[in-house]
Amino acid sequence: MSYIVPIGPYHPALEEPIHATLYTEGEVIKDADVYVGYNHRGIEKLATTKNAIQTLVLVERVCGICSHSHAFTYAMCVEKINGIEVPKRGQYIRVVTAELERLHSHLLWAGIACHIIGHDSMFMHIWDVRETVMDLLEKLSGNRVNYAMVTIGGSRRDIDDDLRKEILAGCKKMKTALDRIVDMVVNDRTIAMRTKGVGVLPYEDAIRMGAVGPHARASGVKIDVRKDAPYSSYEDFDFDIPMVESGDVYARIVVRALECYESIKIIRQALKNLPEGPINLGNKLVKIQEGQAVCRHEAPRGQLSHMVVGTGAFENHRVSVHVPSYKNTPTIPFMLRNNTVADAGLIIASIDPCFSCLDR
Amino acid sequence: MQDYKVIGMKKDEIIPIAQKMRNDGIYLVMIHGYMDKNDVPVIRYDYAVGSTVESYSVEGETVLPTISHIYDTAAEWPERELNELFGWTFEGLDVSKRLFLPEDMLETEGKGQIMVKPLEELRKLNEVCTEKKEGLE
Repeated sequence: MSYIVPIGPYHPALEEPIHATLYTEGEVIKDADVYVGYNHRGIEKLATTKNAIQTLVLVERVCGICSHSHAFTYAMCVEKINGIEVPKRGQYIRVVTAELERLHSHLLWAGIACHIIGHDSMFMHIWDVRETVMDLLEKLSGNRVNYAMVTIGGSRRDIDDDLRKEILAGCKKMKTALDRIVDMVVNDRTIAMRTKGVGVLPYEDAIRMGAVGPHARASGVKIDVRKDAPYSSYEDFDFDIPMVESGDVYARIVVRALECYESIKIIRQALKNLPEGPINLGNKLVKIQEGQAVCRHEAPRGQLSHMVVGTGAFENHRVSVHVPSYKNTPTIPFMLRNNTVADAGLIIASIDPCFSCLDR
Repeated sequence: MQDYKVIGMKKDEIIPIAQKMRNDGIYLVMIHGYMDKNDVPVIRYDYAVGSTVESYSVEGETVLPTISHIYDTAAEWPERELNELFGWTFEGLDVSKRLFLPEDMLETEGKGQIMVKPLEELRKLNEVCTEKKEGLE
């Protein structure tokens, strides 16, 4: 018997609104369609009437999880158009915040993935570790969601010696907890049975559809903006890009787990070698000079690109925000094929979707 | 360090360049579009060549060939977005489905194209449409 099964836009297995139509043959999905746009707020349009500082606040609200990434990338664009060189200390503080954000995002996703497969005690263990990151971010910026750590020309807040020690101690604590959790998740038979061979995206198809971030790296595609096109002093740090080749949901769990270790490594190096000097170039409002720039940043979910066009006024002429989910969401129908309806929620969640980012 | 380079091209070079980039294994970052300050449509095909973003720019064209048969969904979704927000036509692209804006959007008579109209005008239209909707209820 063939059925058409709708999932979403509001569904218990989804964190954010997406509508998927599954065309099934009995229990097996034969084809699928995805529909987005339930969160469209017209942020790009609104940005055309705002100046640089207002836009930083606006783009930070595109997404709740990767808020720093948006402000970071937008600031990079404006700095590139205006030829502003960010002080080294400011660059390092941006990197520390970005990596803490990546840790928080990956742990949040891992928790939700465990919740979807029905492993609720694991979900609580993982979110316990996430709480450590959230506390560190709160101490660093005063906020738990929108950190407001970026200003045009540097960072807004400094890291003093006490905070530095506190973050380093937090990293040590997190690493111990991660060792325990990663061992449990990676070697657990139940999790392996539920995720191995599910929602496979082969290497060739990942390249064909242009998948990015941990989603592509789980299919063996070596792509990471931090290594391919270093920015904001990422070339100073020694870290690896974890890669797995099987391309299933299990591989995505492993890649993200290993990336948490790399983020801790980067935070440690950045804090140990934190350069002396100013953190920004003052809070003067700049005009966005005539010209345009595209900057890329490795957000927790993959490559994030902003394009800014300036005309010499305070306001932007055009801000274009394109997020990793923009490239990863079209792979969902492909991954759903020949899997069962019971796995659909897990497969949709496995790309770590962010539809608020995607719809803007 | 990330670099950015704008290279001008003609409309009939879009497909050969895309094909060449695809054969070289080069990643398509995004297809960006905007109306410049003289209201001339500008479309940019951004490719990541090493650490540089090479931006191939076409100006003054509103009917363009699609490259979705070369870059698959990585080009299809941006083209659908540009079709919806700017109203530009991509020959050979299926635009029967909407990405972001509702089909029954009264402000723009179901056409989308919010990036072309000024924000002030859209706000005024919104007031008129809200009254119209309330009247219908």
